[in-house]
Amino acid sequence: MSARDAILTAIRAAQVPASPPASAVARPIAEDDLLPQFLRVLSEVGGAGIVRGAHQTVASILADALPPDAEGVVIARGRFGVAENAAVYVDAADIDARADIIRAEHLVLLLPVTALVPTMHEAVRRMPDKSACGWFLSGPSKTADIEQALVIGAQGARTLHVILEPA
Amino acid sequence: MLADEHILMSTSLPVLSHPDAAKAFLHDGERAAWHDDALWYVRSKRDRATDLPEWEALREAASALKAHAMSRLAELLEAFEQRATASGIVVHWARDAAEHNRIVLDILRSTGVKRVAKSKSMLTEECGLNPCLEAAGIEVVDTDLGERIVQLAHQPPSHIVIPAIHWKKEEIAQLFHTAMGTPAGESSPDALAGVARVHLRDALLHADAAITGANALVAETGGVVVCTNEGNADLGMHSAPVHIACVGIEKIIATRDDLGVLLRVLARSATGQPVTAYTTHVTAPRAGSAMHVVLVDNGRSARLADAEMRSALHCIRCGACLNTCPIYRRSGGYSYNHVIPGPIGAILAPAVNLDAHRTLPFASTLCGSCGDVCPVKIDIPAQLVTWRERSAAAGMLPAGYATLFKRLGPLLASRTRFNRAGAWARRLLPVLRALSFLRRLNPWTRPGRDLPVAPAESFREWAKRTGRLS
Repeated sequence: MSARDAILTAIRAAQVPASPPASAVARPIAEDDLLPQFLRVLSEVGGAGIVRGAHQTVASILADALPPDAEGVVIARGRFGVAENAAVYVDAADIDARADIIRAEHLVLLLPVTALVPTMHEAVRRMPDKSACGWFLSGPSKTADIEQALVIGAQGARTLHVILEPA
Repeated sequence: MLADEHILMSTSLPVLSHPDAAKAFLHDGERAAWHDDALWYVRSKRDRATDLPEWEALREAASALKAHAMSRLAELLEAFEQRATASGIVVHWARDAAEHNRIVLDILRSTGVKRVAKSKSMLTEECGLNPCLEAAGIEVVDTDLGERIVQLAHQPPSHIVIPAIHWKKEEIAQLFHTAMGTPAGESSPDALAGVARVHLRDALLHADAAITGANALVAETGGVVVCTNEGNADLGMHSAPVHIACVGIEKIIATRDDLGVLLRVLARSATGQPVTAYTTHVTAPRAGSAMHVVLVDNGRSARLADAEMRSALHCIRCGACLNTCPIYRRSGGYSYNHVIPGPIGAILAPAVNLDAHRTLPFASTLCGSCGDVCPVKIDIPAQLVTWRERSAAAGMLPAGYATLFKRLGPLLASRTRFNRAGAWARRLLPVLRALSFLRRLNPWTRPGRDLPVAPAESFREWAKRTGRLS
């Protein structure tokens, strides 16, 4: 018997009684509170959120936000953002190569301000059906493996900016 | 290939009683207190992060989605396999650790891999993958910072989420000075992590293969979900020509809705974050690369058949029960002598070998905190008690316990006798505290621990006196 068949046979032999699926747990957040909560949590997780003003361009925002000699800046379009945890969903279909996301020293995510959802409950339902690869990115890379001291910029991005495009 | 057999089997740890191992840890009282504080800090962060109106509903949902997945396990694994295969992922099945190691080694050898960048996976620790690969001449770099620290020190992780929780920064400074040439005495976490960043990014971006675990497999999408804060799993899997994800079969969930629930409880319970910095959902290899998923049983299907203990398979490896446990915090990960320590380890290990791990179900005060914080609501205290009953039935109680329980039985069975014994105990405790020779007899009062100061009256007496109980 193949390993596959042996494992599946053993699982079926265990005869686990039927158990119903989980019920959904949503926490509605008022439309007006989505952006403030997203920005607050984003700063708590070490990122920075900027709502682009009418007179600003992405380039002018980055000129102010990043160090002048910043290398490895990667700009990617996010599909939607999550207010409860400041995660921005980026799909691999929207970038040149998956490796772009991880080679970035400074990650800049562009997101329409209208594309915010309250929690992961709504977020997973907005993941594209035919996605080969996608990320929920919540702030820059970080570690607390040395005496629980938070260090921003572990192996991945050192900074993460979300530029929110006005409606 | 038979010549390899010796390197495919994980080496088992020597049998060691938990009290004896804890004694070694408690020898340095100051350090034990520091360890206790470090974990309590993580537990406190978890408390703040789980202060949500829907938290209990989320735990209920997380528990339900796991029970549901276990009830459809074979079907969901087949659905996952079908979708993943259709999108170009090669799915393998491994009955045990040796078969898992054989599969991984064969993939690496067939593609001529010399250097592997690994991100955190308790499953590969369980299977003893690293020693197996190293014995085959393959260089393995653990790329989670905490795991790299313990790897450089030739140690296993002492915690499932924070592998180097037992290391002080000055010791890490010394280790990095020797291994990576950092300036002697440089112990700032920023500086050490900065040097590790360069070292680990180099290993990650130049590896011939990336090995990761997975936090979930989603049957509905055929997706492999990997969560990290450092981004190390992504660095490896999106740059190496080969990605192998090694996953226990119990990691499967049915739907993306389930994934939403899981992601809402996982990081909050683990580190007190609203979600990990990187949460990656992959359903297909990138162009020009190969992706493998190894589905590992290694005792899980046998546990599934054990109705009383089945729910231990719901564990999502968040570590919350370790951080809250008064025994784990004061005895350290190595005292459990098992790949998964803490309360969850104390119910997982006896299923692997009850004889060798007979002291673990007793490494608990049954205070219940582990069950209270568990995001998937595993009744860990109840399973600890069941393992105690089973070890008694199998004649495997730790030395001394059998006699003790036989004597205690009549006492605990009668309310009058129990109350009378309680009154005597309160009078005797101060005397016992003074008799230092007794400490040598009782594992609870070894150095670093002491008998409590007895209150003047029992809880029942207090309740009666204050009119709370008639």
